[in-house]
Amino acid sequence: MNTQRIGAIFEKDLKEFRKNMMLLMMPVIPIFLAFMYSRMGEGELPIFLLYLIVGATYSAVTTSGMMTMMAEENEKKTLRGLIQSPASLADILIGKSLVVGLFTLVSLIISLAILGNDTFLAVQPIIGLILLFLFFLLLGIGIGLFTKSVANTSAYIMPVMFLFGFTPMIEFLNLGEDSIAIKIADYFPIMQMIDMHETNSWTAIGIVAIWVIAAAIFTFICLKKVSTDN
Amino acid sequence: MENAIQVSGLRKAFDQQVAIEDVSFHVKKGEIFGLLGPSGSGKTTTIKILTGELEQTTGDVCVLDTDASSFDSTQFKSKIGILSDNSALYERLTVYDNLKLFCKLYGAPLERIDVILDDVNLKNDRNKVVSKLSKGMKQRILLAKALVHQPDLVFLDEPTSALDPGNVIHIHRGLQKLNEAGTTIFLTTHDMEEATKLCDRVAFLDNGTIQELGNPDELRFKYSSHDFHIETTTNEKFVLGNDSKNADQIRDLIAAGKVKSIQSDKPTLGDVFLKLTGKELV
Repeated sequence: MNTQRIGAIFEKDLKEFRKNMMLLMMPVIPIFLAFMYSRMGEGELPIFLLYLIVGATYSAVTTSGMMTMMAEENEKKTLRGLIQSPASLADILIGKSLVVGLFTLVSLIISLAILGNDTFLAVQPIIGLILLFLFFLLLGIGIGLFTKSVANTSAYIMPVMFLFGFTPMIEFLNLGEDSIAIKIADYFPIMQMIDMHETNSWTAIGIVAIWVIAAAIFTFICLKKVSTDN
Repeated sequence: MENAIQVSGLRKAFDQQVAIEDVSFHVKKGEIFGLLGPSGSGKTTTIKILTGELEQTTGDVCVLDTDASSFDSTQFKSKIGILSDNSALYERLTVYDNLKLFCKLYGAPLERIDVILDDVNLKNDRNKVVSKLSKGMKQRILLAKALVHQPDLVFLDEPTSALDPGNVIHIHRGLQKLNEAGTTIFLTTHDMEEATKLCDRVAFLDNGTIQELGNPDELRFKYSSHDFHIETTTNEKFVLGNDSKNADQIRDLIAAGKVKSIQSDKPTLGDVFLKLTGKELV
């Protein structure tokens, strides 16, 4: 890893991010949602609603941002130029992740500040939020490389948002507690985080970590495919 | 002289289709080497193997004393520059910002940007957004990107395609200047004039195999018919073969003051390729 190269990629991507209206609008979505929820009534918001904001931030800002950036680099062949340069894959991914991370952090902090909630100010939730960020980030990198074009990313972002970002909304489908879909959804990262708040269990953090490892493997395979023409 | 590139017995097959077969050559350090051949002859595949974008099926490849298995190393990548059909620019950024990124990635001083922009005749366009530029200008920025870190060896895949004649001359001067400073240049081109003007040696590639290799002038001489094309003062034109009987006839014509012009047959590299393969170099 080389800090100068990471800095160069961060600087370049920050400039590109600021000139891309679609990417710039994404961090506004969770802030808008948080504003709506804050008007819903008196009293503390239920934990699943807080995680809807977290899910919206991570899927709309982290995954979508990273997915768009990687797909654009791949589609326009600029990624090959970076790979052919002395920058390592780690330099490239860290430089890009810092930009997406910055916008995610700003969006999440503003959203949670609007809700005025301190639920996340503890060690366990913070570790969980970091793991969730890594999961959504890796998912964005992998899908961005897999789709190969920016136009195709829109077909992938919706399933990602609804499956992983808005998982708690499955409760509203009235499928019944014995439904297989509910049982599977319970193991999804956001649901595990909600479970962690209710049980204080580290097992939930472990399951989220497994999701991160799975996303990392998916990303690694996609990266290997685009690194060469073999 | 040491070799910058050493290739022996190179073969690349994509499933059942063989792209290059038993290709062997070397490029000396400080040389301008041209790989010439029609579309689909295996030029780009060869460049991709030499730059680590593709793995060879069999054969040995050594570039700047680095074995193909180490082409992914930072040290190797710092020493080469690449302009290929996979090269691209960040369209939303300015010319300067694009080159600044690569200066930083390669650890080159930012002062190099103005020097290289001057070499590619774009000094006055440094603050323009890339998306607003013509195809030819973008090609010149890509060339600048490949050269901005002063590489020891540069791979150029059709470097002057899409450029107007004025800029081709400018680029040729820049490449010659770069070569004089010690950079080895490996280029592919369809432009026979370009190959003749720039290259110390060329290799003709057809159907994935090298058909001929050598100095452009020597190859042109080797494949010349050695005939003399004569035009007399009465505008009569004829061709005489290169033998002692015809030599006497030419001497007599000159002595009688009847020769307006006399030229030896000198084929172009395109003619040589046509002679070797029966194909046009397009």
